[in-house]
Amino acid sequence: MLLMPQKYISVTCRTKMKRTSKDGQSKLPDNTALKQQQLPASRLQLSATGVLSCFFATGVFCLGMGIILILSAKSIKEIEIKYTKICGNCAKLREDATNFDKVCTCSIPFYLPETMQGNVYMYYKLYGFYQNLYRYILSRSNSQLVGTDLKDVGNCAPFSKSHDGTPIAPCGAIANSIFNDTIILSYKLNSSIPIKVPMLRSGITWWTDKYVKFQNPSSINLSSAFAGTTKPPSWAKPVYELDEEDPGNNGFLNDDFIVWMRTAAFPTFKKLYRRLNRIQYFIEGLPAGNYSFNITYNFPVTRFKGEKSVVLSTLTWSGGSNLFLGLAYTVTGAVTWLASFSMMAIHLMLKDRKVLFIQQ
Amino acid sequence: MFCSEKKSLEVERIVKANDREYNEKFQYADNRIHTSKYSILTFLPINLFEQFQKVANAYFLFLLLLQLIPEISSLTWFTTLVPLVLVITMTAMKDATDDYFRHKSDNQVNNRLSEVLIDSKLRNEKWMNVKVGDIIKLENNQFVAADLLLLSSSEPHGLCYIETAELDGETNLKVRHALSVTSELGADFSRLAKFDGIVVCEAPNNKLDKFTGVLSWKDSKHSLNNENIILRGCILRNTSWCFGMVIFAGPDTKLMQNSGKTKFKRTSIDRLMNTLVLWIFGFLVCLGIILAIGNSIWENQVGDQFRTFLFWNERGKNSLFSGFLTFWSYIIILNTVVPISLYVSMEVIRLGHSYFINWDRKMYYAGKSTPAEARTTTLNEELGQIEYVFSDKTGTLTQNIMTFQKCSINGKIYGEVHDDMGQKTDITKKNEPVDFSVNPQADRTFQFFDHRLMESVKLGDSKVYEFLRLLALCHTVMSEENSAGQLIYQVQSPDEGALVTAARNFGFIFKSRTPETITIEELGTLVTYQLLAFLDFNNIRKRMSVIVRNPEGQIKLYSKGADTILFEKLHPSNEDLLTLTTDHLSEFAGEGLRTLAIAYRDLDDKYFKEWHKMLEDANALMDERDERIAGLYEEIERDLMLLGATAVEDKLQEGVIETITSLSLANIKIWVLTGDKQETAINIGYACNMLTDDMNDVFIIAGNTAVEVREELRKAKENLFGQNRSSSNGDVVFEKQQLELDSVVEETITGDYALIINGHSLAHALESDVKNDLLELACMCKTVVCCRVTPLQKAQVVELVKNYRNAVTLAIGDGANDVSMIKSAHIGVGISGQEGLQAVLASDYSFAQFRYLQRLLLVHGRWSYFRMCKFLCYFFYKNFAFTLVHFWFGFFCGFSAQDVSDQNSMDYPQLYEPGQLNQLFNKRKFFICMAHGIYTSLALFFIPYGAFYNAAGEDGQHIADYQSFAVTMATSLVIVVSVQIALDTSYWTVINHVFIWGSVATYFSILFTMHSNGIFGMFPNQFPFVGNARHSLTQKCIWLVILLTTVASVVPVVVLRFLKMDLCPTLSDRIRQRQKAQKKARPLRSRRPQTRRSSSRRSGYAFAHQEGYGELITSGKNMRAKNPPLTSGLEKTLYNSTSWLEHFCKKTTDTVSSFSQDKTVKLYTYL
Repeated sequence: MLLMPQKYISVTCRTKMKRTSKDGQSKLPDNTALKQQQLPASRLQLSATGVLSCFFATGVFCLGMGIILILSAKSIKEIEIKYTKICGNCAKLREDATNFDKVCTCSIPFYLPETMQGNVYMYYKLYGFYQNLYRYILSRSNSQLVGTDLKDVGNCAPFSKSHDGTPIAPCGAIANSIFNDTIILSYKLNSSIPIKVPMLRSGITWWTDKYVKFQNPSSINLSSAFAGTTKPPSWAKPVYELDEEDPGNNGFLNDDFIVWMRTAAFPTFKKLYRRLNRIQYFIEGLPAGNYSFNITYNFPVTRFKGEKSVVLSTLTWSGGSNLFLGLAYTVTGAVTWLASFSMMAIHLMLKDRKVLFIQQ
Repeated sequence: MFCSEKKSLEVERIVKANDREYNEKFQYADNRIHTSKYSILTFLPINLFEQFQKVANAYFLFLLLLQLIPEISSLTWFTTLVPLVLVITMTAMKDATDDYFRHKSDNQVNNRLSEVLIDSKLRNEKWMNVKVGDIIKLENNQFVAADLLLLSSSEPHGLCYIETAELDGETNLKVRHALSVTSELGADFSRLAKFDGIVVCEAPNNKLDKFTGVLSWKDSKHSLNNENIILRGCILRNTSWCFGMVIFAGPDTKLMQNSGKTKFKRTSIDRLMNTLVLWIFGFLVCLGIILAIGNSIWENQVGDQFRTFLFWNERGKNSLFSGFLTFWSYIIILNTVVPISLYVSMEVIRLGHSYFINWDRKMYYAGKSTPAEARTTTLNEELGQIEYVFSDKTGTLTQNIMTFQKCSINGKIYGEVHDDMGQKTDITKKNEPVDFSVNPQADRTFQFFDHRLMESVKLGDSKVYEFLRLLALCHTVMSEENSAGQLIYQVQSPDEGALVTAARNFGFIFKSRTPETITIEELGTLVTYQLLAFLDFNNIRKRMSVIVRNPEGQIKLYSKGADTILFEKLHPSNEDLLTLTTDHLSEFAGEGLRTLAIAYRDLDDKYFKEWHKMLEDANALMDERDERIAGLYEEIERDLMLLGATAVEDKLQEGVIETITSLSLANIKIWVLTGDKQETAINIGYACNMLTDDMNDVFIIAGNTAVEVREELRKAKENLFGQNRSSSNGDVVFEKQQLELDSVVEETITGDYALIINGHSLAHALESDVKNDLLELACMCKTVVCCRVTPLQKAQVVELVKNYRNAVTLAIGDGANDVSMIKSAHIGVGISGQEGLQAVLASDYSFAQFRYLQRLLLVHGRWSYFRMCKFLCYFFYKNFAFTLVHFWFGFFCGFSAQDVSDQNSMDYPQLYEPGQLNQLFNKRKFFICMAHGIYTSLALFFIPYGAFYNAAGEDGQHIADYQSFAVTMATSLVIVVSVQIALDTSYWTVINHVFIWGSVATYFSILFTMHSNGIFGMFPNQFPFVGNARHSLTQKCIWLVILLTTVASVVPVVVLRFLKMDLCPTLSDRIRQRQKAQKKARPLRSRRPQTRRSSSRRSGYAFAHQEGYGELITSGKNMRAKNPPLTSGLEKTLYNSTSWLEHFCKKTTDTVSSFSQDKTVKLYTYL
């Protein structure tokens, strides 16, 4: 009997105390299960078999999940091109704020060795940009952005009002520092004329952002709606001129603006810029071949020792995950297995010792 | 101020009777008592002051002030203000209600009525209006309103009887008497009103057994002592009325002087929390400094350029200043490690436990229909940490009822019940008690289960007759017939009451006495004995004898007393009987019964006459009278013939033995502190199994001077160590112990020791230099009994242990004499359902029976403690996990203060608290919790960080935005801590399920509500998280992250727990085992070993009796005029009537000192 494992998952029910209370005295406490702390209860015990089998199961799951994640992460095709140095002259130009009206473009040719199958997404990526600074994050006015009160510039200081006291729309440091490079991807089909790769700007924002959180003030036309406000100091044009062709992409509803306003958690981050419109040559995705990025370089990063890059990437079932999650799962699974083996060993050893002790 | 200054200067008190104006100029305190702390005006300032002494409250106030500075405020100020105000209001309200009840009880006492003589008339006055110098009338069974000088009483010679159990716990009645000059005043109001004596006496003090003063009246001075004083708290007994003059009133009374100050009690967890709060604050400061330095560096290296790019406002902010501000911001943000909700929830949990105590039916005493009551709600978990219990004896351990249990007559034991097999069995309900209905005079309450004694009486066994006759003759009981014609005994000592009642039921009925005769009814026939001499009891003689002449003319000496004394006086022919009786006595003593040996002697006429002549001569002597008389008593009390022995049980309260046994198994030390005699206290010790014959040694400290006491303590210690050394030297097995001996002496003391110390010695032992010796010795002993201690000494003993041992103490008592110790112990327990209320009012918990202490400590205390600890551990763990995430985040956001998980996380901690009401757990694993919390926070932060870094969502959008990150982390946190609490939950009840699942559900519902369009539409600035939950929680990879975080944080915990359980069982496992062991051990322990080593012979003698009653009887002073003294042939009045009173006073004041002198062997062992 004693050789049997002594711990099992046992569910012991404490029986309700039954007491006949004949004495009807008022001072006698009520005989309810709650008051007498006699609620039926079950006990959770860590039994050897239970814990070990749980551990093995967890280990199997984690390992499996890890391998799947790693494989799927491997299947992702990704190209990243840092263009701060490549477009060095533009970067230098932008270091001086007075050159804001000078246009600087930069073309970066590259070769795509393999076809990028499926949906392809284009991101811009910033290094060393602290979008998570406490005061930076607060430097916005949600009630302004939702279009209800353009004059509400509550937390936006120092980007709340221009020198003459007109409220800035959109106010705040986030809006002011918007990423304003234009990136156009072109494909050289037959080493002749480059074709502009069709890109979609829709669907790069959250539905709630586009339809709930950001709203233009209601008015006949946008410019009159924003009357009485001024543009942020770093902006080249006012908010109502961001996309004059598409009213659904203009003003606060501008997708690039909305994406920028969703602040990143880390100083290195990438934000979705465009996604591939799978038509013509690009039904299967991006075919292998020669491409080039045509960048209108506006956003200065060298002043804070930052870097910019443009990223093309495909996705898998779990999104554009990196290797970390898969590796972490694998490691966790392996550690869990290791732990369960050593636990089993220790447990068996102890049991042997107990047996010995009893035999003596 | 003037008043108090004056009081401190009061060196003597002058009081004039019936002259309020005269007395007013001294500004003596009136008879109103205050035990309350606040009045309406002082409540707010005093209470607030007290509350802000709590470190936590002060800390939150500080935080609140910080948050009021907009520059650094990272959380809104009302997040701290609202709970702080709530906490303070709740505590204040509780204090106010507590104080209200104290006011109420004060009022109740202050408004008691007493009859005061004003303008020659008796008027009903409230107690509080009684003034010093007033003459008040007391009636039988009334509480005494103030400290009075007895003027006159209904009894002859101005005697009156008082019960002092409330004051000192002694059970026998005490006699007080008025000065003869004042006793003549009688009940004559006009004469009493004219009484204008001036009393000059000592200033108010707390000495219960001392009083010195002088009464000047009618140009003569009379000295006053304690015998003339009745103290507040006493009850008048056997005296229909008496008059007294108020000397000390209200707070000046000795009773109130003995009640200690009400102290603000805090649990050790509270104190620990205070330290922890300080540590955590220090920790926060460190974190804050790290982050502030980081911020400065960042500002310097990166921020500057970054700022220029962002056109950041240049208000001359340099990096150092920014770092400084960051420091304070982080202090505020990180304060969630000790959120104020922790304090609120602690109070809520404690309140819940208090209700559980109140609701417990197993602590409800049906006999007095009193449930247990938690009178303070803040001390519950301390009940699980008690190391020392200080218990009163009378009324707490004992019922204060004496019953005649057994006797040994002529070598035959009576009173034991045998079963069919001839084996001794315990008395159960099944046994039929002896039927006394044939005897119409029998006392119906008396029960005896051995039918053989009645049979022996019926058979006419002459020895049995003699035995019972002795019991009926040799005593100081007075008889009376009540209106129904029933015989009522007025007893001075409850032991004698039991013995005389036993004799009465067996047919030897004591009917009446005069100074010269005793009339008893022997089996239906009235027999009058002439009382020739009364050889009174005192503590040196430890015996009393009467010499009577029966109707046949035979002179007999009947004696009862301590076996140790009496056996030396026996005639050599008694040897066989002596051994038999000795065996029986050992048996009785082993059962904790109070024994008396019984013997007689036949005297011949001539010898007695000679002896009597010598006695008269001795009485006439001026000096050495006492010595001569004592010698004569010795002379005649010899060659006694042994009759047998009696065994009286000082009835214990129900379940005392079991309670004490299980408490000591739980490693709780029990000390008995009693005002009663040493013998009585020791006997109770044996009766409760606190002292046993198996003990290696019992040390008795009874020295009278500081030097003696020190010497005795030293010897006892030497003895203890010496024995231990020698025993361990002799045994190889103990070699290891021997090695440890030097380092941890106390731990290695093998064997059981007991210490008995009396009040006089204690007074010396409590002096500073001996204190440590006493404490060291006492703590090494298994049992400590302090006898003859004053209420204040009780408190001092408690304080001693409390302060020098750092142990958690509990004091339990029932009377006013226990109030001070109840107040000074960490936890005071009052026995409720008794007459006096003082103990209950001063206590923190009250219940009706001592035995409930077991349940209070082992069940409620343990649960409260375990639950509280588990709660704290968990809370700290959770908060560390939660808060440190901020810290890690700090490294990635340029060290600017940042609240990651925002409001949703702020809202949910409270949701867990009620769910924790049903768990048990463990000790101060604060650091483990902290480490655990840190680990979890690492997992919580870095797994999402790694996973989100450079990742994108299923729709290609970036998911590493700050809001999604916060939601992921908050959700992981909730799930991790929920799994954690599920693992921690020992017992899953419906409530647990509701709360754990409920809290997770509530989290998600709050999350979705706060992230909903509707709420954003209403408050766009306050709830910017719109759509976040919807978007994030539909992402597969976010759930994968949450899952991984949970697994990674929980797996190591489970591994550690599993290994711990396997390798070394946890504390709760051990306690569970111990509880099992207790259950097994209990039936064994409660049975006393029947066979004893003959060498462990111990006297079970104990007798609650006072010297002086013999003289009272023989002088006839305490007898009513309705019993006119019969003249007899023999000279009866041994002393002239003026001298006996003085003699009486002298004797009684000597009692205490003589008591300690009789310890010729100060230190002896029972081995």
